[in-house]
Amino acid sequence: MTYYNNAVITKRELLVRLIKLLNNDALLDEIDRIPLQMRPRTNSPIRCCVHKDRAVLKYKIMALLGFNIADEEDELTPLREYAEQALKGYTQNGNFLTVVDEACSSCVQVNYTVSNLCQGCEGRPCQVNCPKDAIMVINGKANIDHQKCVNCGICHKACPFHAIAYLPVPCEESCPVKAIRKNADGIEKIDFDKCIHCGKCMTACPFGAISEKSQILNLFYNIKHQKEKTVAMVAPAILSQFKASATQILSSIESIGFDAVIEVAEGANMTTDHETSELLERLEEGAPFMTTSCCPSYVQFSEKHAPELKPFISHTPSPMDYTADIAKERYPDHKAVFIGPCLAKRSEAYQNPNIDYVITTEELGALFAALKIDLETVSPNAGISDNVRPESRGYAASGGVTNAIRSVLSAGLQISTELIDGIDKKSIRLLKALPGKKQHTTAFYEVMACDGGCISGPVNVAPLKVSQNKLKNAIREIEPAEALNE
Amino acid sequence: MLTTPKYKVQLCCGTMCYIMGGAELHLLIEALPDQLKDKVSIEGIPCIGKCDTNEKLHPCVLINGEELNNASTQKIIKQLLTLDNNDVL
Repeated sequence: MTYYNNAVITKRELLVRLIKLLNNDALLDEIDRIPLQMRPRTNSPIRCCVHKDRAVLKYKIMALLGFNIADEEDELTPLREYAEQALKGYTQNGNFLTVVDEACSSCVQVNYTVSNLCQGCEGRPCQVNCPKDAIMVINGKANIDHQKCVNCGICHKACPFHAIAYLPVPCEESCPVKAIRKNADGIEKIDFDKCIHCGKCMTACPFGAISEKSQILNLFYNIKHQKEKTVAMVAPAILSQFKASATQILSSIESIGFDAVIEVAEGANMTTDHETSELLERLEEGAPFMTTSCCPSYVQFSEKHAPELKPFISHTPSPMDYTADIAKERYPDHKAVFIGPCLAKRSEAYQNPNIDYVITTEELGALFAALKIDLETVSPNAGISDNVRPESRGYAASGGVTNAIRSVLSAGLQISTELIDGIDKKSIRLLKALPGKKQHTTAFYEVMACDGGCISGPVNVAPLKVSQNKLKNAIREIEPAEALNE
Repeated sequence: MLTTPKYKVQLCCGTMCYIMGGAELHLLIEALPDQLKDKVSIEGIPCIGKCDTNEKLHPCVLINGEELNNASTQKIIKQLLTLDNNDVL
């Protein structure tokens, strides 16, 4: 779920500005001016001063150019140099998040703080109940000794005046697998042995300090200068993200300069068929249950945190994998570009030699905005495949995979299903308990890392409710006439 | 009872406005207070060209034809309430 906040808008503004400059062939000359233009002296600064604000923007740009902030060797390296490298293309290392340390505000080490509501009472339940003797009363007010405090929260619960406030660290709180922690300097660091690329920390940080490493400039440069032919593979969730029909969105994507467009829903047809027969086969062989495999964040979760789940995860390739096969077959000399709402797909695509680029809904939106592509007036092109099933577009919302599988089951066959909507601490407990369960009442689990499915992915632009409606419209667009009459 | 909406809210649906927060405004109808329900019509309109300037004005909205820049749900509601409270008829 992407909440509307200024940090999100800053990221999008940066993307639009970068693409505009690149489109006007002015990227290298102007890129170092972006922080100055966006944070002029006349504005009141967001952080301590205008220079800090500009430095933050510089490093956010560095991440959007695809670099790991920690890799910077010389602080004086201008953005121009990074941009030059980015346009040439660079090697990714499989980790797609980077902490913009300049932006990280080093949120509190200790989550509890005594506010001025403290009455300095006689009872002092905060002090007497503290197991670490971390509270001292100085000048009639309680004080927490940060060296001793262990964040247990007893003082917070014990204070009858609600004078002790809980201050969360948003990125750490949002991470379902404890993959983000402070380093000795108080700056957040991501542990990629644990990270499942769900993107929750990125949307949670109100300083926008966690950024993805983007490929957008490298890709657009190659498209613009026709260095290589490209085929866009468009995830069904994209069709829910813009105020236009599915056909208009697909045609608009083509008008950016892609040589061909394939819907990932086409690959989802194959995932549905394969996964259904796999499920029936496994159940016949006596397996207690099977889970979906299309959510890359969930697959990473099982690899890094619940290996015992691995045998129960479907071996069926994801719709993106199948679509990449289709792309290689139809357009063997084209570079394949996956366009989707997902951060984890970046790392899934990294492992698939048939996929060359991944761009996100946000980046696609920035491309449309920078190139002034008006989705509603783009003439709908032919070439939209008619063998996409409506249920395959439905993959984008949670429950969609189950629905697609039900639609191909032979009549009379019943399968009990359950939806795990969103990977959080609670659903992780449930998932980890599954392999050890004696009695299984559910044969098929659909697991989605994002609550709501891909349409609420971390790099989307439309709020969930809007995208739910838009996805329904996109599905209706290709529904056969008889289904509408029912 | 059918009433004609008094206030016309037009949301710029150009992509720039849309990605810079305009998408959220499509939920405006759900956020309207009781006082304004049935009095407001909401529609999307094509880009009104505000994104051409260097200033950051998006998302843009027209309320009864009058521009509201850097719009947010709360800003729109505030403007509508001001209009409605000053409307003595």
